[in-house]
Amino acid sequence: MTLTTLLRRISLKHIRHQKMRTAMALFGVALGVAAMTSIDIVNSSVIRSLEDSINRITGRAVLQITGAESGFPEEMLEKVQKVPGVEYAVPVIETNASLATGSERSFVVLGVDVLQDSNMRDYSVTGDSSDIPDPLLFLAKPDSILLTREMAQREGISIDQKIEVQTVQGLKTFTVRGLLEPDGPAKALGGDIALMDIYAAQLAFGKNARIDRIDVSVLRGETLDSVKTRIQAALPSGYNIDTPAGRSRQIENLMGRFRKSMDVISFMALFVGMYLIYNTVSISVVQRKKEIGILRAIGATRGQIIGLFLAETVALSLIASFLGVALGWVLAKLSINAVAQTVSSMYGRSSVTGLDLSLASVLRNIATGIVASLAAAAFPAYSSTHVAPVSAIRSLAYTSNGTVLRRLQKILALSFILLAGIIIAVYKTVGVASPLRNSSMTTLAMFSLTLGVSLAAPLFLKWFIRAYRAVLAPRLGAGGRLAGLNLEKNLTRNAVAVAAVFFSISLSVSSSSMMNSARRGVMDYIDSVDNSDILITSGHPLASAGAPTIPMPLSMRQELESIPGVRSVDPFRKLFINIDGRRVLLEMIDVVTWPRNNTCTIIEGAMQDIPLIRGKDEVTVNENVAMRMGLKKGSTLVLPTPSGPRPFRVAAVIVSYASDSGVIFMDMPTYEKYWNDHVSDMFSIYVEKGRDIAAVRTAIQKRYQGTRKMFVLAALEFRQEIKKMLDRSVVMNDAVNVLTLLIAGFGIIVTLLASVLERTREIGILRSIGMQRRQVSGVVLIESALIGAAGGLLGICAGVITGWINLEGFFRIDFGPSMAYHIHYPSIATALLFAVGLSILAGLYPARRAAKTNITEALAYE
Amino acid sequence: MIELKNASKSYKQGSREVHALRNVSLTIRKGEFLSIMGPSGSGKSTLLNLVGGLDQPSQGEIFMDGKPLHGISDDELTLIRRRRVGFIFQFFNLLPILTAVENVSLPLLLEGTPFNQIQPRAVELLNQMGLGNRVEHRPEQLSGGEMQRVAIARALVTNPAVLLADEPTGNLDSHTSEEIFMLLKTLHDKGQTIVMVTHDPRAAAYGSRIITLKDGSLSEDIAIGGQAA
Repeated sequence: MTLTTLLRRISLKHIRHQKMRTAMALFGVALGVAAMTSIDIVNSSVIRSLEDSINRITGRAVLQITGAESGFPEEMLEKVQKVPGVEYAVPVIETNASLATGSERSFVVLGVDVLQDSNMRDYSVTGDSSDIPDPLLFLAKPDSILLTREMAQREGISIDQKIEVQTVQGLKTFTVRGLLEPDGPAKALGGDIALMDIYAAQLAFGKNARIDRIDVSVLRGETLDSVKTRIQAALPSGYNIDTPAGRSRQIENLMGRFRKSMDVISFMALFVGMYLIYNTVSISVVQRKKEIGILRAIGATRGQIIGLFLAETVALSLIASFLGVALGWVLAKLSINAVAQTVSSMYGRSSVTGLDLSLASVLRNIATGIVASLAAAAFPAYSSTHVAPVSAIRSLAYTSNGTVLRRLQKILALSFILLAGIIIAVYKTVGVASPLRNSSMTTLAMFSLTLGVSLAAPLFLKWFIRAYRAVLAPRLGAGGRLAGLNLEKNLTRNAVAVAAVFFSISLSVSSSSMMNSARRGVMDYIDSVDNSDILITSGHPLASAGAPTIPMPLSMRQELESIPGVRSVDPFRKLFINIDGRRVLLEMIDVVTWPRNNTCTIIEGAMQDIPLIRGKDEVTVNENVAMRMGLKKGSTLVLPTPSGPRPFRVAAVIVSYASDSGVIFMDMPTYEKYWNDHVSDMFSIYVEKGRDIAAVRTAIQKRYQGTRKMFVLAALEFRQEIKKMLDRSVVMNDAVNVLTLLIAGFGIIVTLLASVLERTREIGILRSIGMQRRQVSGVVLIESALIGAAGGLLGICAGVITGWINLEGFFRIDFGPSMAYHIHYPSIATALLFAVGLSILAGLYPARRAAKTNITEALAYE
Repeated sequence: MIELKNASKSYKQGSREVHALRNVSLTIRKGEFLSIMGPSGSGKSTLLNLVGGLDQPSQGEIFMDGKPLHGISDDELTLIRRRRVGFIFQFFNLLPILTAVENVSLPLLLEGTPFNQIQPRAVELLNQMGLGNRVEHRPEQLSGGEMQRVAIARALVTNPAVLLADEPTGNLDSHTSEEIFMLLKTLHDKGQTIVMVTHDPRAAAYGSRIITLKDGSLSEDIAIGGQAA
């Protein structure tokens, strides 16, 4: 009751009077909550759409059996069909293709057994084909294909029309026999789906007697688990048998990395919001010191004062959080298509139809906004209770409580910095398999360090001013001396501004150093592992493994080598395999020819070991796989092959940044032998010395014109594309940096204005005894520059450390500890210049105000 | 009603120990109007702060109606300030964001009394102070004398046992000062205990008793029209 009355009578008026400050705090928290909400919405919408597509394609199947991505022998179908409890088991081929003309859009081809598949999925087909009365009975004609009505309309394709489609075997011509109405599988993937007979699909897509999946329905009265166990027993190991829940989990795992990077951005946004609240409440406490003193003198308890500030924070953050949810929805709406596209190209097709926002997520984000704000306001609010009641009286000679608070602040600062150190020490000491080894730990360490250093800002400022007074002040005359004294006099308040500058500079230096390290790591890696002149792929060259690509037959290697000017050709194949429920990237190269032109960093073993694995059951693994599976050179690793599990010896441990889930390298012939898969995702072409690369490139394009659609890129262009992609990925980081710098500027303006207002009388006295306007504004500008320099220096030191911490948690954890930390010196220089420049800019207005002080009014000022 | 026994107050100023008050023993009786005089730095305000529970002595004891003000918790001391003491400051110390009536109501708002229950009493007090037409004005819209009268109304709203005034006219012209002293005298005549710090001997003469401090010690104690206490 008392609190709400005080809130209404006092706080609301402050909130109204300090419009700018209130708006900044509202904006900060709203932004944090908006980021969380929009990321929630986008994530769950994308996941839901992926799930929906999968469920539509899955139909009534309750178990799905998959092997390696390259498919598995079709004899397995018979084994599954014989398992007791299985109602139906139907084979499926699921592969990518793209239209050779028109939009060149890629789509999924489902190859199904037309006679059996109706037991699993419902198709509603319209067809006026002159050749086939029932479009589903197109078995007799292997060139037949069914498209969705949506896709046909979009591409302007009609029934009986012949279409050219890019497949593994090159360009193929199919006849559209009918259209699938938007129902069942045809409604999945935004209609980018086509249906074929399974045997025709095997032929067209080079899957000799292999299938990609078996969909299983279970007899009534049987439990999923028991049938699953029986199927497991009937098949060689290495096959995955997924339940619907397992599939959802897989999607979530697949999206894990994406979600993690999104979460980092939302955490940063929330952190910025918290800092704004911290700054607002700190300044508010300092500016309302007199008011607090009066309230305390006339009988307000410490609890009431702290309650007042916290209640103000709750009121503000509640409004801000609601605004944030609304803003988050708008952001999600604006970004959903772009995100869905990124997800489609990186992880698999998704076509988002609507935004998914649950009440639980709204409530959670609002609660997070409020709790984070309260946490940020806690210390400044607590410090408000240390304003002595005697502050209300004119004699302010002693306030012993201030000393207690300063001591507490020092203890807290030291504790947080120590905590950060302990967390990092624990993180580095525990094994890779430990649950403590995750990015939450490093984030916590970064958070703790930032908080600790913020709290240490007054102490640092004190040292900084001491150094300034010893070295620089004597050269700057009376103004320089005065500026130092002024800063020292109001250490606490000036330290808040220093902390604001520190925060933004630290964030900027940290993220640019982390991104610089990742960028250099990846670029150095690419430069060493790919020295080719020309790259050929049939899918988009930047698509990661798992993205829709259409591989090319390995036999193309000889064709390419026969083109004049081509010195040699390296094939490259990549696919994900499942080891003990964990996705790992399997990459295939020609181990004999590849090392002639390329190199890689070896952790264990030697470069010479790599060609020696030819003809042996040996592989090399990257650091991530070695760490997570506890492998060393000479260890044995069992891999699931289509013909069952097979042991491979680890010949070397190397560095690879190709995937965040671990990479295993195998010799191409070994892969062909065990996987019975003879395709390549990419060919690297080395041009003969003295030959014109562009001419060779044109010759390659000419050779395949009309028979195969593919990307033929100069390797240099490819590397530039990757650089561009990496640069694009830091745009969000840059946005956060700019925002924090603005916040810092705002913090300085507020601090200096308050300081100028408080010193009105003092400025009046200085003016009355002959100080010029120019000199007055000079003093304020020097103060401002000093705040910027102190914050900048502190920010750079902390940023260099937090950059390393973040590299540990966000990159080294997934790519291996060999990723070197490269401090980004240009950003440090820019940051320092920016901090001082921005501070001077922020000081201009308060300086003008100070210079304009009316002497007679100022002398009467109280 | 208020008793100080060997009360001392010292504090650190840099590395220097400052003795603001040294072994002061004093009894303030109910209904007394005590004026505290002395040169700058003699310890007047420190004494007032101790009597009003704004601060605690470094040594010695202070009692209000037999209950100790020393060695008690901050919350206990705060409640005594809120319920038993009324403060009048030299610079008024009104909250600039509140109206006159809200400023007067503040101590009772802190007590948890709803504003609509306090309002009639606050308005009545403002009327008594001659500010009936200034109820909804904010401090910046009032003159110095009016602000001090609002502050007096605020000090009286809880019916305090003692009214403490620290140079209450230090910031006012002589005519307005006269009005304020008359107001205090009227309150005293009605039985209000008042302790006032002042530089001005003419102002001190409004009191029923004058004590003088020098270098933190009691140097003189004179009852007006009577004997020394």
